[in-house]
Amino acid sequence: MAVPISQMFTVAKYVLTQKVNRVKRYPLVLMLEPLFRCNLACAGCGKIQYPDHVLDKRLTPEECWAAAEECGAPIVSIPGGEPMIHPEMASIVSGLVAQQRYVYLCTNAILMERKLDEYQPSKYLTFSVHMDGLKDEHDLAVCRDGVYDVAVKAIKAALKRGHRVTTNTTLFDDANPERMRKFFDAMMELGVEGMMVSPGYSYQKAPDQQHFLKRERTRELFSRILGSPKKGWQFNQSPLFLDFLMGRREYECTPWGNPTYNVFGWQKPCYLLQEGYAKTFRELMESTEWDRYGTGRNEKCADCMVHCGYEASAVEDTFGTLSGFGRTVKLTMSPTSR
Amino acid sequence: MTDTKNHSVDRVAGSLEGRVFRPASFAELAEAVELAFDYRGDVTIALKSGESLVGYLFNRQVSGSESSLELFPSDSSIAQKIRYDQIATIAFTGEDTATGKSWETWISKKESERRAEVERVAADAKARGIL
Repeated sequence: MAVPISQMFTVAKYVLTQKVNRVKRYPLVLMLEPLFRCNLACAGCGKIQYPDHVLDKRLTPEECWAAAEECGAPIVSIPGGEPMIHPEMASIVSGLVAQQRYVYLCTNAILMERKLDEYQPSKYLTFSVHMDGLKDEHDLAVCRDGVYDVAVKAIKAALKRGHRVTTNTTLFDDANPERMRKFFDAMMELGVEGMMVSPGYSYQKAPDQQHFLKRERTRELFSRILGSPKKGWQFNQSPLFLDFLMGRREYECTPWGNPTYNVFGWQKPCYLLQEGYAKTFRELMESTEWDRYGTGRNEKCADCMVHCGYEASAVEDTFGTLSGFGRTVKLTMSPTSR
Repeated sequence: MTDTKNHSVDRVAGSLEGRVFRPASFAELAEAVELAFDYRGDVTIALKSGESLVGYLFNRQVSGSESSLELFPSDSSIAQKIRYDQIATIAFTGEDTATGKSWETWISKKESERRAEVERVAADAKARGIL
């Protein structure tokens, strides 16, 4: 089982509490972006194109902790930019852990090994290492040779110290299913707790606009990769989301499930679209016209199947329908039954 | 609306970089602000008071006469709020950071490496008599 029981229980309890309280829209994962600066310039990334004085801005630890309290989500994912560039990242993480939030520190791992001493192993902290495939594919995706080897070394070091480690993979149109299956084998052999996969989103500002996945192609690709999973593979995400990627379930986007807070404020409506910013989480929830977003409703969302929009939909399905709950239990207990 | 389209020698192809908008109506102003909001570089906003602000426009709220935008000045960490009715011109003065130059540079390097590989394979295939 990729996700520890305590984490599954926390999330289940949180979701059921929202349901009992008849809360229609609730956050599941806070996407906390303490800075946009990165030490890579990946071709598929639309997050880092800003003037230097904006890239130099950082959220303070206090702002990060306050955002997590304000939002209340049980899980905090820290993407960026590259979060480990932030000099106070260990303090930010330790404060979030003290709030008993499950923290996923998303990193390209270039700085990870040399900064490991700053982090205490905890069931609440997971290093989510960005890995886009085997060496050739990964170095190509991140536009720098040698990064794969650095990341593998950092993963080994973190595991040796008792940290939770997962991988986080974004797939593009040119992904080779057989190579991806070998990549999953390689990651599990490394000893990571689980893997996360998602199709890339076609950021308007990303340099490479040719390789983002269209919906049909996404379903075809993920079916070929995940249709007959190997026994040892563990995924650190909802099995129903993987079903969705393979076209076996249909979901509408749940953009409020993964709200984003960064140096500009609370981003409307989601991690991927910038339609403006709210000063408070409450303002975000109340002033965003949620019905304007999602596939079929907004051309910017046409081909999006990204986890930040649909993983929460899958979790909602798990706790909102008997078929969803049953299938989740079945796939959790027996992942190869797919 | 009046702008300096085609007048700037430094303008990046396909980018708003170098353009200056002088809106003649609220609708034109709102349109120019939307373009600036979508722009990934600094803009220079000249106010009717004669003052001028350079920075990154990160937010705007359109609400009739109360409409305003928010800007991170390039020389300060404190966001500035500017009402639409204070604005005279909006110039796209900062470098457009989303022009994709880094990708093009990288891809040209990799293409040359791939070409060399193809030539090696082709030479090998010819030597084996299969090409």
